[in-house]
Amino acid sequence: MSIQLLISGISLGAVYALVAVGFAVVFSVLKFSNFAHGGMISACAYAGFYFQRSFSNPPPIYLTIIFTAGVGITLSFVIDTIAYRRLRKKQSPNIYYFLASITMSILIVNLLTIFFGKNLYAFPPIFENTTFMIGKIRFSSIDSLILIVSLAILTILIFLIDRTRIGLAIRSVAINPATSQLMGINPDVTIMAVFAIAGALAGISGVLLAMKLSVYPTLGSQMMLKGFIASVVGGLGSLGGAIAAAILLGIIEIFLTYYFGSLSMPIILFVLMLIFLAIRPAGIAGRFAQEKV
Amino acid sequence: MSAYQLSIVMLACISIISVCGVFAMTSLAGMFSLGQAAYMSISAYLTFCLARYLGWPIWFTAIIGLVASGLVAFIISLPALKLRRDYFALLSVGFGEMVLAIVILLGKWTNAAVGFSKIPKVKNLIWIVLAITALVVFMVRNLKYSRFGRMCMALKTDEIAARSFGIDVYRLKVKIYVIASVIAAVGGICFGLRNRVIAPDSFDWSLSSEMQILLFFGGTNSLTGSIISAASLKVLPEFLKGITLFGMSLQDFKTAIYCILILLILNFRTQGIMGEQELSLEPIRKLARKLNKAKKKEAVK
Repeated sequence: MSIQLLISGISLGAVYALVAVGFAVVFSVLKFSNFAHGGMISACAYAGFYFQRSFSNPPPIYLTIIFTAGVGITLSFVIDTIAYRRLRKKQSPNIYYFLASITMSILIVNLLTIFFGKNLYAFPPIFENTTFMIGKIRFSSIDSLILIVSLAILTILIFLIDRTRIGLAIRSVAINPATSQLMGINPDVTIMAVFAIAGALAGISGVLLAMKLSVYPTLGSQMMLKGFIASVVGGLGSLGGAIAAAILLGIIEIFLTYYFGSLSMPIILFVLMLIFLAIRPAGIAGRFAQEKV
Repeated sequence: MSAYQLSIVMLACISIISVCGVFAMTSLAGMFSLGQAAYMSISAYLTFCLARYLGWPIWFTAIIGLVASGLVAFIISLPALKLRRDYFALLSVGFGEMVLAIVILLGKWTNAAVGFSKIPKVKNLIWIVLAITALVVFMVRNLKYSRFGRMCMALKTDEIAARSFGIDVYRLKVKIYVIASVIAAVGGICFGLRNRVIAPDSFDWSLSSEMQILLFFGGTNSLTGSIISAASLKVLPEFLKGITLFGMSLQDFKTAIYCILILLILNFRTQGIMGEQELSLEPIRKLARKLNKAKKKEAVK
């Protein structure tokens, strides 16, 4: 039983990791928590749902994922233009980005509620069998798919950040925008790249969450809090730390929900966070970044 | 005034009270919290549940509720304020979630997610709420101009410099956090008295973030600005009722319009509508003095 819980915990954690990494990648460069990420996740979940439904014979799942990633990137650029670009030109303090992102998130959720209602839409089933067995352990097909996709995406992302030129640019802008500009890096292009990455992650996690749960306007907001927690606990702006914290969070959540009921989760989580941050204020990754809010 | 107009005035008052609490904490001391709505729920639930189940008078349970929120704020702040500011903001989110979970866990008494509606009716509520609002605004104004407020501003601007001037930063932070939480708790009780029903959903983190947004909308460091924005933005959706545009009722879009307004202000007047300025009678007085002087001069001539 506990192995099964562990596996579903890791699978849940993998989705949280996608959200948390979307958070962390924006934070590492722009130094603010992009709360609009939650709204993007919800919007992408709806986009994926209607894309899947609009064909008489449903397209393969990877097409839906690619499509929603595209929607996420577009949406991310739109949000950047509406909410952040002017603030960036004025070089406003981070707190205003934070406020703009929260407002943007509320706006998206509200628009979704107006146009689609508060009803839950069930994502069309993708697999014929919802579970399969390996040895004595029962695996949920959806959970396994989510785990595989998340791990693949995270691997690609880490490769992108660590090995490519644009990744190098992102890392250097994260450390110091002014100096990296002297080195011939265009900060605007880098920031666009960061928003593209965040948008793609929001799109993918949105469609994965829609498959696992169902589609409703506040889907993203709930995930966003988990992602926020994971990204801060993991270490501000550190991708590896965020992934580790997110997977840990997923495992803790599954075990607590199983043994004590779902309501115990926020209470125990708060105490755990308090203790953890008091003992290790630099987060899991141990890298000290600037203040977040 | 009709009951509907009275309820709108009370809505504005409650919004002003809760934003005043956030003003004391964020504008004066520079602490950012996304969990202030939790104190509203603590005091509201304690007040009305005790009044209901023990039959105590409401003013007495209200005091218990306020003291309890203050105590909770004190206990939470002791470890949390030792941490860096951003961790504090994170913990405040976690704290809000925790309080809501506890409210639902105690569903036997609080009626869980359905909402607790056995709230006694209070006569002349509008005057009570108006008086409380005036009192809270007056107290926060005094706080801003007192020695304590100046200490807080020093802390906000530069913590290390404030420490070097002999300010006990940690104790100051705990104090201001408890004050802010008690003010939020007052807002919570008024909220319950007005709506006659309290549900966990009405106190989630979006309410806390709304308070912060209202504060920054009015002006980062301006009490009058925050009060104006708190009252007007809260009441604005009520005026959109009944207006239809392109065949859609604007009532549905009230939150969306509100968000767009905030985004516009953030984009084009980042410091908020009032910025650092306070609205006061001083310019009018100056003008009157000038006119007086001119008159005297003419009289001398």
